[in-house]
Amino acid sequence: MKETLKQKIIAELKNRITGDFDLRDEKDAKGNIQIWLKLFNRKDILHVAQVIKDFGGRCVIISAYKKDDHHVLVYHLDIDGILINVEVELFDNTVDSITPILDSANWTEREFKEMFGIKLVGHPNPKRLFLDESIAEGILGEYMPLSQAMNGAATCCMWEKIESERHKNEH
Amino acid sequence: MSTKIPIGPFHIGLEEPIYFKIDLEGETVKNVDMINGFVHRGIEYLAMQKNFFQNLILTERVCSLCSNNHPFTYVMAVEKIAGIEVSRRANYLRVVADEVKRIASHMFNLSMLAHLIGFHSLMTQTMEAREIMQDIKESIWGNRMDMSANTISGVKYDLDEGQIEYILKRLDELEPQVDEIIDIYFNHKIVKARTVGVGVLPKEDALRLGVTGPTARGSGVNNDVRVKAPYAAYDELKVNVILEEGGDVHARTKVRWREVKESIRLVREAITNLPEGPVVLDKRPHIPAGEAVTRSEAPRGELIYYLKTNGAQKPERMRWRVPTYMNWEALRVMIPGNKLSDVAVIFNSIDPCISCTER
Repeated sequence: MKETLKQKIIAELKNRITGDFDLRDEKDAKGNIQIWLKLFNRKDILHVAQVIKDFGGRCVIISAYKKDDHHVLVYHLDIDGILINVEVELFDNTVDSITPILDSANWTEREFKEMFGIKLVGHPNPKRLFLDESIAEGILGEYMPLSQAMNGAATCCMWEKIESERHKNEH
Repeated sequence: MSTKIPIGPFHIGLEEPIYFKIDLEGETVKNVDMINGFVHRGIEYLAMQKNFFQNLILTERVCSLCSNNHPFTYVMAVEKIAGIEVSRRANYLRVVADEVKRIASHMFNLSMLAHLIGFHSLMTQTMEAREIMQDIKESIWGNRMDMSANTISGVKYDLDEGQIEYILKRLDELEPQVDEIIDIYFNHKIVKARTVGVGVLPKEDALRLGVTGPTARGSGVNNDVRVKAPYAAYDELKVNVILEEGGDVHARTKVRWREVKESIRLVREAITNLPEGPVVLDKRPHIPAGEAVTRSEAPRGELIYYLKTNGAQKPERMRWRVPTYMNWEALRVMIPGNKLSDVAVIFNSIDPCISCTER
């Protein structure tokens, strides 16, 4: 059954992707299927996301890392237990958000924007996720004291911040 | 008139380091905004400064309640890249450690529910029953939280006849206590009054947001990794997936209790049918260049690890995602429309793990 679903997914992906791509699939000893896809046109990620949505799938997580002078994103998407890993290289440090298509990508996109400073186009709520506004984006990899990295630094500082915000709203 | 109130680490309603901005109209929550990041520690970056064996220790310390699943999923990724085949015995032992953790973790969350609804005798009763699991952990693995059961190519512990007998005896002690407590959680009027119809997550929202674990299963969504993408010995020890349709706090409570029962069954089955063989390979493996993605079902839901290596001693990139990370946004669906006094109960019902989420 999984094999048939895999064939359908692959056929649909091939049908929708406009640019060049590399595609392979693997099966482990327990019969779990993973599809590995590399896209050469970064815009194609929107088409892939649409395929996932049409099959009732979800975004599990997106891994970002730096390779030489550019960033690479690996999208991990799931359709009923089949994992689809999609690699996209970002030479202009910009990527289209798939959150409007797959809500489940919301946080992970905000996180790579924050940690790696990757520009995100079309995200409905591109607010900071973990780090304080005073810290520059793309911080992962730089040394920073824990007290500074944490939003509140200490409970009393956090409390003072919230209190001042509250009073600001009232006036 | 609307009122804005903050709930967070400085407020009596919530012990967790998260800040909720709540808009109220009367007693009803209209809108909720969540701010996190208080305990972000940059562990993901740290993992890339440590070698493959040091990372066993580091991943175990991401969080205490899922502390077995982190190294478990991590070693599976390393093994996949290195092409290591783990023995059947080791796979069974991995399942034993994992299910013991699941029982203890679920029971902790459920006792917190009793605490938050002010049913303190029930909380004590649940925690006392849970002590049996803590005793098992301490006796077998030497620790009450971090069990350090997994290593690359197998497990670090073995079970002899005496230990198996001890675990079985303690589970026989636990089960009748669990049955008694379950009855209270399922039927007592105080519990029902505070949980039925509270914090509803409809099935379509659960699917849309990609929630996992008991949060998903409480809304009738089955994405249990043990069944959807089996690993270790789960393909042999057939897991019965527990599903509830209600989508409210009560449904999630029921899922967890029924899973406790199912895990007791799994532990019994695994230790009584333990295959013979080595528990770990003799030789330390070389980890070549490659990439792998592995998943496991932590007590809170799906945990996924992505590992990329380049042939050196340390990972080139390691990224993981914990269940709470996905369940968080569902709170925006669950909380509005409920009473202010229910916020902490709803929040607890996703079994939040903030240290995992922020890493």
